[in-house]
Amino acid sequence: MTDTTDVVVIGGGAIGSSVAFALARHGASVTLLDVSTPGRATSASAGGLWSLGESLGLGCGVILHTAQKGAGDGPAPLPLTFMDFLWESNLRFPSLAAELRTLCGIDIEAEAATGLLYLVYDEEQERHANRIIEWAGSDHGCVEKWTPQHIHNRDPLITYDLRGAIHFPGDNQVNPMLLTEALKRGACAKGARFIAEARVRAFQCSNGRVVAVESDKGTIACGAVVNAAGAWSAQIARLANIEIPIHPVRGQIVCTEALQPGTLRSNLSTRDCYILQKAHGEVIIGSTTEYCDFNIGVRYQDMCNLAAGAIRAVPALRNVMVKRTWAGLRPGTPDELPILGPAVELENFFHATGGFRTGIVAAPLTGEVVAASVLGQTPKFSIEPFLARRFQSLVA
Amino acid sequence: MSYPGIVIIGGGPAGMSAAVAIATHGLTCTIVDEGFDLGGQIYRKPTNPACAPAPHPRGEGLRAEVARLGEHINVRTGDSAWGIFDGLRVAITSPDECTELLQPQAVILAPGAHELVPPFPGWTLPGVMTPGAAQILTKTMGVAPGKRVLVAGTGPFLLAVACQLIDAGVHVVSVLEASPRSAWLTLPLHGFRTPAILDEGLAYLTKLARAHVPVRYGRVVVAATGETELNAVEHAPVGAEWFPERNHIETEQVDTLLIGYGFVPRVQLAQMAGCDLELRPDIGGWIPVRDRNLATTVSGIFAAGDGAGVAGSLAAALEGQLAGMAATQFLGAIDEATFTAARHTIEHELARLRPLRSALDKISALQPGLMSLVRDDTIVCRCEEVTWREAREAVCAGSTTYRSLKMTSRAGMGACQGRFCWPFLSRLVAAEVKCPLADIGPPSARPPLGPITLGALASGLQDK
Repeated sequence: MTDTTDVVVIGGGAIGSSVAFALARHGASVTLLDVSTPGRATSASAGGLWSLGESLGLGCGVILHTAQKGAGDGPAPLPLTFMDFLWESNLRFPSLAAELRTLCGIDIEAEAATGLLYLVYDEEQERHANRIIEWAGSDHGCVEKWTPQHIHNRDPLITYDLRGAIHFPGDNQVNPMLLTEALKRGACAKGARFIAEARVRAFQCSNGRVVAVESDKGTIACGAVVNAAGAWSAQIARLANIEIPIHPVRGQIVCTEALQPGTLRSNLSTRDCYILQKAHGEVIIGSTTEYCDFNIGVRYQDMCNLAAGAIRAVPALRNVMVKRTWAGLRPGTPDELPILGPAVELENFFHATGGFRTGIVAAPLTGEVVAASVLGQTPKFSIEPFLARRFQSLVA
Repeated sequence: MSYPGIVIIGGGPAGMSAAVAIATHGLTCTIVDEGFDLGGQIYRKPTNPACAPAPHPRGEGLRAEVARLGEHINVRTGDSAWGIFDGLRVAITSPDECTELLQPQAVILAPGAHELVPPFPGWTLPGVMTPGAAQILTKTMGVAPGKRVLVAGTGPFLLAVACQLIDAGVHVVSVLEASPRSAWLTLPLHGFRTPAILDEGLAYLTKLARAHVPVRYGRVVVAATGETELNAVEHAPVGAEWFPERNHIETEQVDTLLIGYGFVPRVQLAQMAGCDLELRPDIGGWIPVRDRNLATTVSGIFAAGDGAGVAGSLAAALEGQLAGMAATQFLGAIDEATFTAARHTIEHELARLRPLRSALDKISALQPGLMSLVRDDTIVCRCEEVTWREAREAVCAGSTTYRSLKMTSRAGMGACQGRFCWPFLSRLVAAEVKCPLADIGPPSARPPLGPITLGALASGLQDK
């Protein structure tokens, strides 16, 4: 039996759900296909909305830089266009949270005013911090340097043994799982259809177009396809003879028991780890960055490192119980920028992937621009820098 | 770090027997067990012998054997094994919060099983506990779980615990067994090859009768009531498939309810190690797939005892012995012929135990009626206090797997990580979705197996 739909979105993570939601809002008939594969990036994300911090290489970037004993004072920042993209996307969270709450009754726990603190322990980091101030300070005017006393007044559990911190007041957090679930249900409320455990097996193509998607849950005739399969999107693309340079990049995280909410007021980024307390009270400590194919195991030594890093930043965490550790696979690209918009090879095949470590903060705007691209409208934010064709020479 | 040899996780009958088999053949092994002493749940040793019943002679015998071979057996009681990394590396943490990574050449998983309690109204009230918990109180500490105790559920373990409570001077009001008496009366037919076990069961019944404790068959607890703690239990006779006849409810005033419907194998370490699992509801649920030598699908990892399929302490000791010898042979310390001969003998012994065990498994197999006890406002995940209404709504919205249900309802997201709630919650979900239990899957297992502090985890860094 063949179903028909306008658009098939493949992948029910944060990005796929956001695209499905945006398409459904525009009145398109959407089918969202998902497989509950372990190790998806959405479920191993801490949900930091660090549009500035991440663009400037904080979060996982600085941890990786430290681990690899990278040259220079800290990791290089991402291009300004992408910083603007994340900034624009981040601004959408308050209204998106309100909309989703009304639409499907889910609170995505988009917190305002937690802010991100980059803790500066040593001289090398201080030079990195000063460069960050130079890069971002003038542009967005919302980066501040904090003294240890200032930090202590705000978050008394943070160590005194540091030189200071940089505060990003606009870099907050969200619950990535609830965001995804709300987007998915929001899409369904707007008429989209969600099919679980529908692994895509093949595409039927004709005259340079995909005409149907074959899945474990049936074949769906369609007018367009969106590939939002995260770390698995290169494999999905390959089913349509499309090559995109997406590689799984593992991130391992540690989750503690629930503490009194508000025990940590800020999101923390350090050279060893990042630390966020979620709305329910658990503290998430992440994250490593490594290429390891599709292995989603955790490594003993990495777990110990993350724990030690967290205790260095917040000594009181020493006595807190670890509840679970796990790993997720981010969809990484060679230039760390996403792949959005039309494929080169098939005219109605679209990408919404390569979110790497910023997929959650990028999800709202990614949904909008990819939906616009699918519907033949001009996206509100140019996706020119993120088109797949920039890799043509690479994959040819 | 000293050389660990073969690491055995769990110091109950299976673990101790494995250690004895290994040491007898001249190899070194390390038993890791969280308890204060070897013995596991069944052969737990009292911390204060003056106020607790005498330990079981079979347990004492195994402990003595381990002590006799002490030169080859490192006993690490008090330490907990909480993760298996990269195949055979076992992370353990000591009570003083030091973490290290043991790197053995082979691992024997003998972690035992935990009790299964289906949710029902009032089951989270203080005063409701498992028979095993009451056993720990009386056996190790000589503490009575309560003044007026009702024991309910299914299986011979209930009788054993009720007798231990009587010995400890506790007033046991009655024992409620869900299966009909007629099913129990067939047991001698199946147990004629193992008369000693039948005698043991008969001795329990005799003791209960002498103490005027009625054993009432074909009854289930439908609710526990009380304001802040338990003060009454409602129970009813059951019809087919254990569906309670709610117009015949009796109320019993008690301060303690011990309730257990069998056991669930602890398979989390096997999962972390990457061993394949299979679903065997008749012996407790998900178990590691094993070959004839009790080897799992991961080379060098063996699994024995109730943790690999619930079969009781006698079978566990035999399996432990077999796994110990198989691991020894795996490392080349026993020749093929000796091993094959020994395996033949052990298999013969195991086969002798099987008919009675299978009959018991059938009698105590969970029936659908238990699922009818759950009400909308009944908590189905204790750690996160998720009600059945919340979980069912999440299921209806499409969350039909452990992972998805956890994300949307938080069921299974707490301290126990689904170990306690999921064995029954998965049945409720399967019934709701109308799919086979196997499709719902086991909860994913991730380190740490039980909570450890961040400080303890960070201490593992010194182990480079």
